[in-house]
Amino acid sequence: MNAAEIYKLSRLAIFWLSVTFGAVWVACWGVGVFIPSLITGKMPFLLQVDNPSTTVVFIADLLRSLTPILSLLVFIPINAMFMVLFERRSLALFTVRMGPNRHGFDGLAQTAADAVKLLFKEDITPRGADAFMFTLAPIIFFAPSIFGALPLLAAVTNNHDLFKVANLPTGIFYILAAASIPVVALVMAGWASNNKYSLVGGLRSAAQAISYEIPLVLSLVTMCLLAGTLDVVEIVEQQKGGILNWNILGGGALSGYDKLAPYWLNLVDTSFDTSAMFGQFYPVPWLSSIMAFVLVICTVLLFGLYLTGACAEINRIPFDLPEAESELVSGYNTEYSGIKFAIFFLAEFTNLFVVSSIATVMFLGGGDNPIPKWILDRLPLEPISNALGSLLSPLIKDLMFIDPATFWAAFWVIVKVYSIVFFAILVRGTLPRFRIDQLMDFGWKRLIPLALILFVVVVFARTWVVCHG
Amino acid sequence: MEFVNVQELVSTGVAEALAFYFIAALAITLSIGVISDKNVIRAGFLLIGVFGGISGLFFLLQAQFIALAQVMIYAVGITLVVVIALMLTNPRLQNEEAEEEAIASSEPALLKFLDSIRNGFPGLVAWIAFVTVYMAIRSEHWEQSTQTIGEDNIAVIGRALTTDYSLPFEFASVLLLAALIGAIMLAKAEKVEDTDTPREGIESGSN
Repeated sequence: MNAAEIYKLSRLAIFWLSVTFGAVWVACWGVGVFIPSLITGKMPFLLQVDNPSTTVVFIADLLRSLTPILSLLVFIPINAMFMVLFERRSLALFTVRMGPNRHGFDGLAQTAADAVKLLFKEDITPRGADAFMFTLAPIIFFAPSIFGALPLLAAVTNNHDLFKVANLPTGIFYILAAASIPVVALVMAGWASNNKYSLVGGLRSAAQAISYEIPLVLSLVTMCLLAGTLDVVEIVEQQKGGILNWNILGGGALSGYDKLAPYWLNLVDTSFDTSAMFGQFYPVPWLSSIMAFVLVICTVLLFGLYLTGACAEINRIPFDLPEAESELVSGYNTEYSGIKFAIFFLAEFTNLFVVSSIATVMFLGGGDNPIPKWILDRLPLEPISNALGSLLSPLIKDLMFIDPATFWAAFWVIVKVYSIVFFAILVRGTLPRFRIDQLMDFGWKRLIPLALILFVVVVFARTWVVCHG
Repeated sequence: MEFVNVQELVSTGVAEALAFYFIAALAITLSIGVISDKNVIRAGFLLIGVFGGISGLFFLLQAQFIALAQVMIYAVGITLVVVIALMLTNPRLQNEEAEEEAIASSEPALLKFLDSIRNGFPGLVAWIAFVTVYMAIRSEHWEQSTQTIGEDNIAVIGRALTTDYSLPFEFASVLLLAALIGAIMLAKAEKVEDTDTPREGIESGSN
C-alpha cells in the first residue's frame, strides 16, 4: 500500500469537501437565515418602525423559499470540480500513477483551472447541425439534476425548516421521473450534432438507459413496498437508530432485534418480559426469524442491483458504452466544446452524486448514525457534546449558524455519499467495459428477472415479519 | 394585493390561472409544431415537449402521480422509443414525398379531385374528432366537487386499482400483454420464413 499517496488523497478530499460544503453552508445561512432575520428583525429598529411592512416580510419569505435552489446552484459546480479531481487522483492511486499534482498546492487547484479554461474555449456549432437542438441538449441534460435533487434536500438535512418546502408526497417517484429525462437530451445531442459517432452514442445511451431503468426502478419499488411510503423524508425517519434499522438490512426486519439487544446483553433491567416483545415483532416463532434473514439477503441484493442499474443509468464504466472513447471518439458529446461541453461534464458528475444520495436515503439510512442507540447510550458522549454545545452556543443560538440536528445528519450523509462515489471510482478503476450485446444480455436476462424474483420474495417474506411500513 | 408568504401567493387563483394559460399555450404551440415541422425527428422531440406540458397541467390539478407517470412513461419512455425508431428509418422518405407531389401535379383533373378528397380525409376525421370532443366538453354539465384533495392521493389510487377497479386494470394489462406478444410475433415472422426455405430444401434433400 502506498501510504503517502493515500494520505495525499484524503487530504485532498477533506480540503475540497470543506470548501464545497462550507460554501453551501454559508450561502444557505446567508440567504435563508441571516438576510431574512436582518430585514425583518433589525431593519424596523433602524428605521424606527414597530413592525416590518408586509412587502419586507414577503421578500424575507421569498428568500427563504429560494434557499434550496440556491444551495444546489452553489453546490453543483464546486462539487463537480472536487469530484473530477478526486476521481483522477483515486484512479492514479489504483493504477500506481502520480495523477495531477502540479497545479496549486499538490494539484489541489487543477480542476478549478480546467474549469476556467473550458469556459474561455470557443463554442463551436458544427456545420449541418441543428443549432437550436444542439444548444438545447446540454440544458435538458443539466436541468433535471437540479430540480430532481430538490426533494432529497429535506431528507438529507433531517427535515430542516428551510428545505421542507421542497418536500413532496411522491418523493422518490418524482426523483425517478426527473432522473429519466436526461436520456432525451443524450439522444437529442447525438442527433443534432450531425455526426455518426454522436448518433450511435446517443442511440446506445437510450437503449441502455431504458433497459437498466427497469431493474433500478424495481429495486426502489421494492424498498418503497417495505417502507410503505414514497416520501423520502419519511423513509429516512423510519430508519433512525443505528445500522440494524437501515433498509439495506431487511428494511426494518432486524429492528426487533435492535430493540431487544440491550435486554439480552444485560445492558438494562433484565426483569422485562422480552418474549412478548419478540412475539410482537416476529409473530410466527421460527418462520419469522427465517423470513427476517431472507429479507436481509434480498435487500442486500437489491442494493447491489440498484448500484448496478444506477451505474448504467449515468453511463459510468463498466457501462460507459455511449462514450466509449476507443470506438466512438467520445460518443454523444463528440462535437461539443467550450461551455456546452462543460455543462455535460458538470451534469454527469452531479448525476453520480444524485444517484449516490438516493442510495444513501433509500438504503443507508440517510443522515443516521451507524452506531446502534444502545451502544451510543453507553458511551460517555454527553459531557463531550455538552462541552461542544456550550462552546458553540453563540453560533447555534444567537446566529443560528449551526443547527446540531442538521449538522450531524449532513455529516453522515456526506460520509456515506462520498463512500459510494469512491466505490464507483474503484469499480471504474477495476472493471473493463462491457460489449453492447453483453450489456443488453446482462440487463434483460440477468438483472430484470433477478429484480422481479426479489420483488416477489420480499412481498411474501414481508407478511411474516413486522417491517418499517 | 399583499402577501405575507410565498405559499399564499402560489395558492391564489390568479397565479394558478396564469400558470394554466402559460402551460396550455406552450402545449398548444408545441403540438402545432409537431404537425407542421417537416423534419420528422424534430417533430418527435417537440412531442416530448407536448407531453411535458400536459404533465404540467396534471401538476396544476394536484394529480402528482399522473403528472409524473406522464413524464416517465409518455414523454421519456414511449416517445423516445418512437423517435429512435424514426432515426432508424429511411431518411429518403421526404424525397419520395416530393416525387409523389410531382407525379400528382401531372395527373388529369378528375384524378386530381379524387386525390384531394383522399388527402383531405385525415383532416376531416381530425375535425370530426375535435368537434365531438369540444361538444362533449361544452355540453355536459360537469359536476363540481367541493371535496378537497387528500394529501395521500397516491394511496387512494393504489387502493382503487387493487379493489374496485382491479378487473379493468387486469383487462388492460392482458390487452397490453397480447399487444406485446403480437408485436414480437410480427417482428419474428420474416426471420422464420427466411431461415425456413433453405432448411426445407436440406430436409427434402436428406429425405
